[in-house]
Amino acid sequence: MRLEFAKPASFIRAHSAWFIGALIVLAAALPLLVSDYWVDVCVFWGINVLLGLSLNIIVGEVGLFNMGHMAFFAIGAYTTAILSERFGVNLWLLIPVSGLAAAGAGYVLTGPIIHLRGDYLLMVTIGLNEMIRISLINNPFALTGGPNGLIVMDQFRIFGHVIQSPADFYYLVWAAIALLLFCLGRLQRSRVGRAWNYVREDPIAAEATGINTRWAKVLAFTLGAGIAGATGTIFAAKMMVISPDSFTFMESVILFCIVILGGMGSIPGVILASGAMLVLPELLRNFAQYRMLLFGLAMVVMMIFRPQGLWPSRRWTTRLKEGDGE
Amino acid sequence: MKRNRSGLLLIVAALVLSLSLGHCVMAAAEPIRIGLQAPITGPWAYEGEMARNCVQIVVDEVNKAGGLLGRPVEIVLGDDQGSPKQSALVAQRMVSSKVAAVVGTYGSSVNDAGSVIYERSGLVNIAYGSTAEKLTEQGRKYFFRTCFRDDRQGEFFATFAVDKLKAKRVAIVHDNTTFGKGLAEAARRPLLAQKKAEIVFYDAITPGERDFTAILLNMGKQNPDVVYFTGYYSEAGLIIRQMRTLGIKATFVGGNAAVNDEFVKIAGPNVAQGALMTQEPLPTDLDYPQSKAFLAEYMRRHKEPPSSPWPVYAADAFKAIAAAIQGSGSTDSKAIMNYLRNDLKDYPGITGPISFDAIGDREGAIYLAYEVTTDGRFVPLQ
Amino acid sequence: MGGVRTGVASAAESACAGRLPCRVEMAIFLEQLVNGLTVGAVYSLVALGYTMVYGVMRLINFAHGDFFMLGSYLGYTMLVTVLAQSNLPLWAMLCVATLVSVVAIACLGVFVERMAYRPLRKSSRLTAVVSAIGVSIFLQNAAMLIWGARYQAYPPWSVPEVSWTLGGVNVSLMQLLIMGISLVLMVSLYMFVQRTTVGAAIRATAIDHDTARLMGIDVDQIIRIIFVIGPGLGAIAGVLLGLYYRQIHFTVGWSYGLKAFTAAILGGIGNIPGAMVGGMLLGILEMLGAGYISAAWKDVFVFLILILLLIFRPTGILGERVAEKV
Repeated sequence: MRLEFAKPASFIRAHSAWFIGALIVLAAALPLLVSDYWVDVCVFWGINVLLGLSLNIIVGEVGLFNMGHMAFFAIGAYTTAILSERFGVNLWLLIPVSGLAAAGAGYVLTGPIIHLRGDYLLMVTIGLNEMIRISLINNPFALTGGPNGLIVMDQFRIFGHVIQSPADFYYLVWAAIALLLFCLGRLQRSRVGRAWNYVREDPIAAEATGINTRWAKVLAFTLGAGIAGATGTIFAAKMMVISPDSFTFMESVILFCIVILGGMGSIPGVILASGAMLVLPELLRNFAQYRMLLFGLAMVVMMIFRPQGLWPSRRWTTRLKEGDGE
Repeated sequence: MKRNRSGLLLIVAALVLSLSLGHCVMAAAEPIRIGLQAPITGPWAYEGEMARNCVQIVVDEVNKAGGLLGRPVEIVLGDDQGSPKQSALVAQRMVSSKVAAVVGTYGSSVNDAGSVIYERSGLVNIAYGSTAEKLTEQGRKYFFRTCFRDDRQGEFFATFAVDKLKAKRVAIVHDNTTFGKGLAEAARRPLLAQKKAEIVFYDAITPGERDFTAILLNMGKQNPDVVYFTGYYSEAGLIIRQMRTLGIKATFVGGNAAVNDEFVKIAGPNVAQGALMTQEPLPTDLDYPQSKAFLAEYMRRHKEPPSSPWPVYAADAFKAIAAAIQGSGSTDSKAIMNYLRNDLKDYPGITGPISFDAIGDREGAIYLAYEVTTDGRFVPLQ
Repeated sequence: MGGVRTGVASAAESACAGRLPCRVEMAIFLEQLVNGLTVGAVYSLVALGYTMVYGVMRLINFAHGDFFMLGSYLGYTMLVTVLAQSNLPLWAMLCVATLVSVVAIACLGVFVERMAYRPLRKSSRLTAVVSAIGVSIFLQNAAMLIWGARYQAYPPWSVPEVSWTLGGVNVSLMQLLIMGISLVLMVSLYMFVQRTTVGAAIRATAIDHDTARLMGIDVDQIIRIIFVIGPGLGAIAGVLLGLYYRQIHFTVGWSYGLKAFTAAILGGIGNIPGAMVGGMLLGILEMLGAGYISAAWKDVFVFLILILLLIFRPTGILGERVAEKV
């Protein structure tokens, strides 16, 4: 088994530049090849990738358990809807604005709780998610439209072209991913990225080497929240209607699973896993009411056969081998 | 490491294969395809399943009579899981599968996310359970609904409570869903405007919970004489039972989402007896021949009548689409839309005559007050 | 039907519309308290399942809420099918239904542990969490397929409707039963873990698997015992909940699971008395939030208290019994 499959793998590695090139060409041509529906699936895949990458900073790089990431996504989406509808702010401008709003919320909300360990932090982030969602439903100051949500009429415009069709959004989202990948790649190798990994591996030793662990953790949360918030703008423009139903605890759980399933801290893993978590239920559509049953089963099977994730990051794998496997 | 990469290769191959496979499946088209978007899984799966059953009956009926324009009709099922994101995906799938029109869906905020896509693609979309007013108030051309709006039911309750029940102190409890809160607001507005009865209590429960004694005790303190609960039957049954256990004797009035046999089962017949509901005429109380025939067929297939009013509207939505295809002689969505808007007048639907007004709402809402009898049936209040 | 009471009803009638006499206010408060304790007792029973599994395996068993849900359904099925035909007295029927449900769910628990968790024991602990979420989705949809998506109701004859009025406060037999049974079960569980040899083995395993194995403890066997006790208690809670509210649905596992998990965290996860205290406190907080603040904002209030509490006591009220390994 191992030998048979090892051959194509080594072949890929030897010609990786060609393969990446081919992949980019294929990705660029995809909207011409498949129906609008599958392009749309890829748009939502892309949105999940953006969210997954932002959560990966928190869970994967720093090892903080966050099961309420949808809260920040919701803040971004609602900031967009409110500012765009009430004040007519341009959507392009709203990407950084929503990002800043969510980052600010991330900074303020996680500041006091960042010292909580593992599962306590997990619970608190679940709580934040529920608090934000319920607040949105309760329509404070008639801002959020209650359970009905809000409508976003404005659309992205680029040189007079309105970004509207699934293909337009496909290019927008995946371009955003390319940009984010470039930045994250740099970040991973920077001082900050290394500091995060130290904090994840051994917080006490990290503190001893002069890293301000509290600062590192809050920074990760703020950055992750900010990216999720900026993604919220794209989501709001794509959906045109946003309501609290889109930001449930269940969605946060699926997002969390994406990061673990991909292999913690692994960027290509996140891309693959969010594809698997989204495309799989779509493929199972023909099974009608059995679809989610099979989806649950698939999650278990995937974890059992690839406990290290679909594409584990190298640093993580080595640790797993040495560690006590806890 | 080696195994990791090869596994990745497999996954990529599977993805590409599945994408192209999905493409091939989409291509074939001979019968007229009509979409049904409904929550087949997720918390509202029950409603989705019944809608599917109801639509299947009328589709079989049409196919038995030779189909539409000489072509058989095929249903394309889309499961939206009661989630807006899934709804957007299903809508795009419907557009890509080249369906002639779409029936669905159930929840209002879920529907909203889908109908923006239908609107952009010019695909007729007839909702069967989405009653929020805002859906038809955004100038959408391709959106229709066979169910009635919240505000009409709210107004009916306000008049009914003041004139018939002689209510002076009204409590309104909703469940913070689009539907429940929408109806509660719609009932509150006319009551506040009329100034004949006071709203002494207005709050929300959390759906999915079981214990509402805290909010009910609080409500009891205000001593209401009529309680209007605008949420679903599952919570309605618990609320009336806990109300009576706490000794609150106010008249219980439920909205039309509370009309369901489960309400009586959960509350228990002794407690449910005498509860009132605001409701469009139930299929079992309709005198039209087509309603009776439909109900008989449903009973034959599923051994019990549909236990909530919504799925029958799905069947009616399909019937309206079928009539429009037949009448306009075309499966073009624009032709269907024009026919529905301008030419479909008093079409004999299962729930009564169907015509749509200028914004896509169904004309002529009839509401009745229903009472739960001692043996747990819902009968119109005389 | 012992439904019609006199205490509060007559008092409420005699009270004028606006202010209520002080005595009635007090009675209402006490009644809120009794209801809160009843709900809290159910939370505690379910929370014990989370806490025991966590204590021994460091795993948040997301499927636990679904064991509880299935227990409720099984009790229902026993009552309406087999037992409805028998001519046993009611108490015997309830005992048989509960017993069958407990045995079946305990078997299911052991089976799930064997299939979905044991293969992952050597992997990162988050891997098992994802597997547990998969199991949860699977079980939930399985229940939907078996019992249908509609609500089911325990038959009216199965519920002993007896209640008393003590000083203007209504207390029903079911409430006393729920509180009594929970208390007895929790105390005996605590005794079992603290006083017996098996309990000592459980405690040893909780501290360190490998050391426990060196001491001659069969760790697999201990984990199997944990997965008999946890889901078993969940099944009892499920049947009690079904009898109390009569209405059951396949989504109940998530909503009660989340609450019970909150309770476990509140008390300090991994800590058996902590689960009891956390559950009771959560039940009371919910009642107070709904009764004296606003039912719509109740959950926001509850999570806010939880977060505040964790800020000042980062490991819950009673703290963790076992220090977490870093």
